[in-house]
Amino acid sequence: MLLPRFEYHEPTTLEEALKLLSELGGNAKVLAGGTDLLVRMKQKIDRPAHVISLARIPGLKEITPRNGHGITVGAGASAATLSRHELLWDRFTPLASASSRLGSPLIRNRATIGGNLVNARPAADLPPACMVLNATVKLKSRSDERDVPVAEFFRGPGETVIEPNELLVSVNMETPPPWTGGAYIKLAARKSLEISLVNVAALLTLKSAGGPIVDAKIALGAVAPTPVRAYAAEQVLIGNKPSEKLFKTAGETGVGMCSPITDHRGTMEYRCMMIEVLTKRCLSMALESARSWKPLK
Amino acid sequence: MGEFNVINTRAPRLDAAAKATGRAKYADDLSMPGMLYGAILQSPIAHGKILNIDTSRARRLPGVKAVVTAKEAGLVKYGVSPARYDETLYAYEKVRYVGDEIAAVAAVDLATALEAVQLIKVDYEELPAVFDMFEAMKEGAPQIHDEFPGNLTAEVHQEFGDTDAAMAECDLIVDHTLLSKRQDAAFIEPHCCLAHFDLDGKLTLQTSTQVPHYVMRTVAMVLRIPVGNVRVLKPYVGGGFGPKAEATPLEMSAALLARETGKPVKMNYSREQVFLHSRARHQFYAEMSLGVKKDGTMVALRNKAVLDGGAYTSFGIATVYYSGSLLGGPYKLKAMKYDGLRVYTNKPACGAQRGHGGVIHRAAFEQLLDKTAEKLGLDPLEMRLKNIMATGDVTINELDMSSLGMKECLEAVRDGSEWYKKKGKLPKGKGIGSACGFFVSGAGYPIYRSDTYHATVIVKLSEDGGIVNVLSGAAEIGQGSDTMMAMIAAEALGVPLDCVRVVSGDTDLTVDLGAYSSRQTLMTGHAVKEAAEHARAQVVEVLAEMMKCDPASITFRDGKVFFDGGPGNFEEIRKRYIKEHRGWTDPPGGEYLTFKEAARMAYLAKGTIVGTGKYKPPKLGGSYKGAAVGTSPAYGCSAQVVEVTVDMETGEVTVDAMTDAHDCGRAINRTQVEGQMQGSLSMGLGECLFEEVKFDSRGRILNASLGEYKVPTSLDMPNVNTIIVESNEPKGPFGAKEVGEGAIMPTIPAILNAIYDATGVRITELPVTPERLYMAMKAKKKEK
Amino acid sequence: MKRIIQLTVNGERAEVAVEPNRTLLQVLREDLGLTGTKHGCGLGDCGACTVILDGRPVNSCLVLAVQANGSDVLTIEGLAENGKLHPLQRAFVEKGAIQCGFCSPGMILSAKALLDENPKPTEKEIRMAISGNLCRCTGYQKIVEAIQAVASGEIMQGGDS
Repeated sequence: MLLPRFEYHEPTTLEEALKLLSELGGNAKVLAGGTDLLVRMKQKIDRPAHVISLARIPGLKEITPRNGHGITVGAGASAATLSRHELLWDRFTPLASASSRLGSPLIRNRATIGGNLVNARPAADLPPACMVLNATVKLKSRSDERDVPVAEFFRGPGETVIEPNELLVSVNMETPPPWTGGAYIKLAARKSLEISLVNVAALLTLKSAGGPIVDAKIALGAVAPTPVRAYAAEQVLIGNKPSEKLFKTAGETGVGMCSPITDHRGTMEYRCMMIEVLTKRCLSMALESARSWKPLK
Repeated sequence: MGEFNVINTRAPRLDAAAKATGRAKYADDLSMPGMLYGAILQSPIAHGKILNIDTSRARRLPGVKAVVTAKEAGLVKYGVSPARYDETLYAYEKVRYVGDEIAAVAAVDLATALEAVQLIKVDYEELPAVFDMFEAMKEGAPQIHDEFPGNLTAEVHQEFGDTDAAMAECDLIVDHTLLSKRQDAAFIEPHCCLAHFDLDGKLTLQTSTQVPHYVMRTVAMVLRIPVGNVRVLKPYVGGGFGPKAEATPLEMSAALLARETGKPVKMNYSREQVFLHSRARHQFYAEMSLGVKKDGTMVALRNKAVLDGGAYTSFGIATVYYSGSLLGGPYKLKAMKYDGLRVYTNKPACGAQRGHGGVIHRAAFEQLLDKTAEKLGLDPLEMRLKNIMATGDVTINELDMSSLGMKECLEAVRDGSEWYKKKGKLPKGKGIGSACGFFVSGAGYPIYRSDTYHATVIVKLSEDGGIVNVLSGAAEIGQGSDTMMAMIAAEALGVPLDCVRVVSGDTDLTVDLGAYSSRQTLMTGHAVKEAAEHARAQVVEVLAEMMKCDPASITFRDGKVFFDGGPGNFEEIRKRYIKEHRGWTDPPGGEYLTFKEAARMAYLAKGTIVGTGKYKPPKLGGSYKGAAVGTSPAYGCSAQVVEVTVDMETGEVTVDAMTDAHDCGRAINRTQVEGQMQGSLSMGLGECLFEEVKFDSRGRILNASLGEYKVPTSLDMPNVNTIIVESNEPKGPFGAKEVGEGAIMPTIPAILNAIYDATGVRITELPVTPERLYMAMKAKKKEK
Repeated sequence: MKRIIQLTVNGERAEVAVEPNRTLLQVLREDLGLTGTKHGCGLGDCGACTVILDGRPVNSCLVLAVQANGSDVLTIEGLAENGKLHPLQRAFVEKGAIQCGFCSPGMILSAKALLDENPKPTEKEIRMAISGNLCRCTGYQKIVEAIQAVASGEIMQGGDS
């Protein structure tokens, strides 16, 4: 399979990249890990005249904890890096877990968090995880910079609020409060190399190890044109004592917030029922994680 | 020391080091100076009349060296079975599926060739198309081939015994149906070939094929080249599993373009084109009834099949026969009736794939057996044992089980899996299931009618006597046949394995029908053994004369020569050898004469020592119509027990454990036998749980990639408790018979029976995706 | 327009002029003649084209050659040293982990990357590490056994096992 011809740009600074983007805009595609873009170009779905590689821009791959308050993940950090990051597993579990389920080990070594968000595939692994962590993405253009909550980032399959002259440079998350735990769960036919039929990320904050739920966040993937926050399902949980039954009710509520499609991978009916099951399970896992919360050493 | 010195060991494969280091050359690794690249134009529509083909723009594109269509290629019809030659190299008048070949281009590079293909303008008149096999059989359905009204490519009606009468005497008759989906072999190496003509008009075609011999014949026939002027050479092949067992439009196009341009032409299928070319597993619908006595004795079987064959016949006639004939065993039956239909649809043609024709009907039957056992209150594994055939039994359709360790296999998996501890005692969501199966050890007849030998082999000893060269047309495709040949030759000659070299996969060397129907170990193996013995006899003759002894007193073992079991007085021979080889670095030594010295003496006496061997099966099978399909000199058989966990909330199936016992007659190489078994089970697992080629409403494949066509990954396949059973097949070389296909037979039904055990749901449609099982469990709940 | 890139391939410096739309896989196979790296799908679905790029196994069909400029690439051809098979190669040979061999180069390199990082992996970790490399012949069992044989020291560097 051959790639179409294109002009290749390899800026070495962020400024240079933003300048190129402002000049080339809609005629250019940004190349990070390439595991999505190059596939689409080989399949002739995307035929950009220009490709701007981010590989030579220093600092884009960094993961920087911010003094216990939060973390900044560079857009170029690979899924493999995220899935091996101890602090992410401890405090931002859904993201670490989702990163460990993306594609295959080979894909994870290339695929980046920025790419996974910007490509905006409805079944992508990282967006629901970012959503429950209340992540914001930093979008930069030559003249401007803005922070957009991930929850407001997606517009439809393959579509986001990002402007042609903007670059996603980092993903920022505040550290969740004590007694918070999270999880990510994905349903697919095989155990690797898979696209989710349904995926769920959840974050639960308890009052204490044995206490009631004081905050809850649930996000669902592959069930609508964009990943969705299941706000109503979260409301079911907040203020209540965690239980299997409560989680089941939350799952049922979650189903109502989705509009899955029927395609060759699965029917709408099945996807709906799996939202319920997976939400329930993901919450149970998040609960377990919250209960075993420990102060960092 | 055991009975054998070389065979029955775990010797590493001959080609393993080359493959582990990346040195092994596959077709795509080959290139030639001045080589052009070819590309094929395939139909974007499923059914239509070709009104006009305009190649002028493509021809004008700089870098394009040739454009060929049916006009240049001619209209010679070809196919697999001469009874159904229904293909031409390029479509004329009509295209019959999305992917039907229309034209080909050769250009200076692949990008140019692909661009040129896009510049060929074809005007179509689109015709109504039919994609469902049941729809295709209905009156008024679009007709795909004028010569085959009703879209029937083949039908089979067979009855053995009086089925109605036998059913009438049964205490219980149980029915079952199973609908499978089209599947793909998903070998990791896409087809590739490189063709060139020399100045004398001789074609050399290096290609990724299972069957150099058939490719040679088909290419010669279609392109009208004298068959003696076609040499097909098979480099290393990255898996075949059936779909590479026939000549492809890729090979014929490369040869044609090479002839047109006078230059070497290389062509590849992309992964998507591998799916479009297909020739893989049909979609099957099986419907059957089993009649039994109260005590579980099987009496009669009614079996119906409908096969979706796609747009051409390919191997389809054999396929539809196999779906019937391979249920003649391994259980005793008094009567069996089979009605099979193979139907044309506007989709890529289906052909042979591992366990050809038998796999899905075996799956349906073994489920039916379990269902029947349950109704009778019997343990299904015991019911199998009760009806099992043994060595010497002949099936009702006259298949001769000259060796059959079926019972031993079944007992081995029963004990190996701790069946009695588990069956009926597992918690909900966990299940255990068993099944049996068998397969031919080489088709009894060639694809074309002929008295040809199925395999001929040359064993040539080197001038110094130290090296044994085995020359053969057989096809090493990863299954290990080169190593098999070397081990048989070494054993028969009495030399160590490391002095044997194999050159194979070359039609200029010998005749061999190739790697299909699990034939090479038995058939090629026989020819190797005969050739080695022939060479050996010549060495013995010379030696006996020199030593003035009885030829019968001479034995070779591990490269040493024994006279009446002792070293004998061989001083003169050694002296002569060393004199001949003065200055060489490897003088013979030790207290025994070596085979090398003996073979050198034979060379000095007779010239190059060449042994030849050949194999052709004896006349086999009954005299009824279609009796040829299913006959084989011998049959391998397999029993399996599978344990699963079903996620009752999502329908996900995890295969936790597999126990497999296979009777391969005698394991030539134990490691490789296990490898075939484990690989078969992995493929069976994928076909049972994940694999389906899906189409949209216009006949386009939705999942023509290895991302969306899901074969098992390392996380999906468990370890297999792998048990080799050896029955010593009297018609096999050193007692050997097949393993590569019989081993897949029980896998799907064993999984399905385990799923039933776990859930109470009897699967009637494959693959068992989480959704399918979930919905079936939900429907069952509703029933209650 | 062609660009000049520099790679260290199997320890040796290579300079190649490439069009930007050529993948690392194409450059390795076609420009450098290193055909041990296989092309199975072109879309990152099969892992036959696995090479180790700056220490990490990747699908070389999804890396532009220009992206790899300045990188260190290990292909299957670079694994054997002084004509001696790498322990993983020996283990694959001896344990019967190779059938058709088309997945083997990629499989061996994924295994190498695993053992470099985690010399004593569990069976589950081994299966995870090779879960981007499809094999249709072996059912993976003997591949896992081969990797285990190296991890356990049964087959060692230089030794005859």
